[in-house]
Amino acid sequence: MISLRGVTLVYPNGTRALDDVDLEIEKGSFVFLVGHSGTGKSSLLKLLYREELPSTGQVVVDNIRVDTLRRGRVPKLRRNIGVVFQDFKLLSHKTVWENVAFALQVTGTRTKDVMRMVPRSLDLVGLSHKARVFPSELSGGEQQRTAIARALVGNPKILLCDEPTGNLDPSNTTEIMELLQRINIKGTTVVVATHNQAVVDRMRRRVVRLEHGRILHDDERGYYFRGLGQTALLPG
Amino acid sequence: MDWGRLRFFLGEVFTNFTRNAGMQFTAIGTVAVTIVLLGSFLFVRDTIATFGSGVLSQIEIAVYLKDDVDDAKAKDLAAKFAADRRIASASYVPRRDGLKRMKDVLGSDFDTSLLTSNPLPNAFHVRVKDADLVPAVARSIDRDPRVAKTDYAADTVQKLLKAATVLGRVGIALIALLSISAAIVIANTIRLTVFARRREIAIMQLVGATNMYIRMPFIAEGMLAGLLGAAVAIGVLALAAYQVVPKLASTLAFVTFHVNAGALCAELLAVGAAVGLVASWFSVGRHLRA
Repeated sequence: MISLRGVTLVYPNGTRALDDVDLEIEKGSFVFLVGHSGTGKSSLLKLLYREELPSTGQVVVDNIRVDTLRRGRVPKLRRNIGVVFQDFKLLSHKTVWENVAFALQVTGTRTKDVMRMVPRSLDLVGLSHKARVFPSELSGGEQQRTAIARALVGNPKILLCDEPTGNLDPSNTTEIMELLQRINIKGTTVVVATHNQAVVDRMRRRVVRLEHGRILHDDERGYYFRGLGQTALLPG
Repeated sequence: MDWGRLRFFLGEVFTNFTRNAGMQFTAIGTVAVTIVLLGSFLFVRDTIATFGSGVLSQIEIAVYLKDDVDDAKAKDLAAKFAADRRIASASYVPRRDGLKRMKDVLGSDFDTSLLTSNPLPNAFHVRVKDADLVPAVARSIDRDPRVAKTDYAADTVQKLLKAATVLGRVGIALIALLSISAAIVIANTIRLTVFARRREIAIMQLVGATNMYIRMPFIAEGMLAGLLGAAVAIGVLALAAYQVVPKLASTLAFVTFHVNAGALCAELLAVGAAVGLVASWFSVGRHLRA
């Protein structure tokens, strides 16, 4: 589903965000990208939805060569990828329903289909009862669930989450991670960039650890730190 | 038609439009000023053109014949004029009629009793079908051996034609400059809107909206500003026409004020919309490429 071969990303200011990265992610899998801030997690995600282009190397997402993709084809790629951020990126003047519908409306979806797809997505994230509420009246967890509903409303094959729980308290964090797990079970490939050790260690999924733009380790059912389940050390 | 989609689109345009009301007001004002000037210019130009062509169509070539050309020989010349396709009419004025006409025109100011003989030659008054051909026709008549001299209001014709050309050029340059400044104001307004909506644009791009789709509400916004500016201008022009033209018409009775109001309005609206379209297209385009 996702494949990076020899990918290096150097920003114009000379920062080497990624350095010769090779990574394969299977369809339907759940992967954590972990590491400190500035180790290249976000940059790696940006390459997948073509917010950035690699300096060298090859990026393939759902059989599409992203690194050579023409600008005009980018919208089609992105309709297959849902993206969720730490700051939710919701539109404050629109209701929950409108925020979710927005993703469909701006891609030219017929009203009939919008009316059918939005409630389904809101139902999935458990926010049907808050459809008419504005983001400012929601808790952080609810706002992130709205963002997830928006990311998923078009039925993308891949969901990319960049620090999805970075602004959330532990109980909202758990709620969001459970939601992501449910989404993954339904068949969506989920990639989560995080530096929340507790979350990673509790979930025991594939863990790809980045450091200085390189892959330090890549473990199935791994921990945040290799071979070191530290959940016991953490509260909750 | 999908009404939901249309409503969503119009909602986006309205949100854009009202977000920078002050700036939008400036843009509309600039367009209005430009178009008022454009409309006035077109009006003046059309009036001059109508007036000018009226004058030109009335220009006569006076053809004075040599003294030895009598009425019989003049008849031959009349036949020659009749055969010339460029000539609309040629009326023969024998010398005695010429004198009578002069008396009629000048009345008591002209005392014929002082004259011992008729000083006027036999003459033709020739009218040409197309005013532009006056100089050429006069020259060809001049070459005839029976003709002593031709005379027409050469200067007037040339000056009028020249004035119309110069006015046309100056007007086009002026309008072009004004259109550019109007376009710049609209472009800046759109840029503010784009800036205010950068979050939405980022989300649109993220969820896979095409650049064309992202552009459209902004284009519509620019065109709306242009159209509203043109509408304001048309209102001002209509008011001016209603107030001023009747007065002008009574003062300048010899000038016919003729304007095709419907066509003019359509032209001005089209100019307004086009300025808005071009300005917003480039304004958003720059943001989307960045």
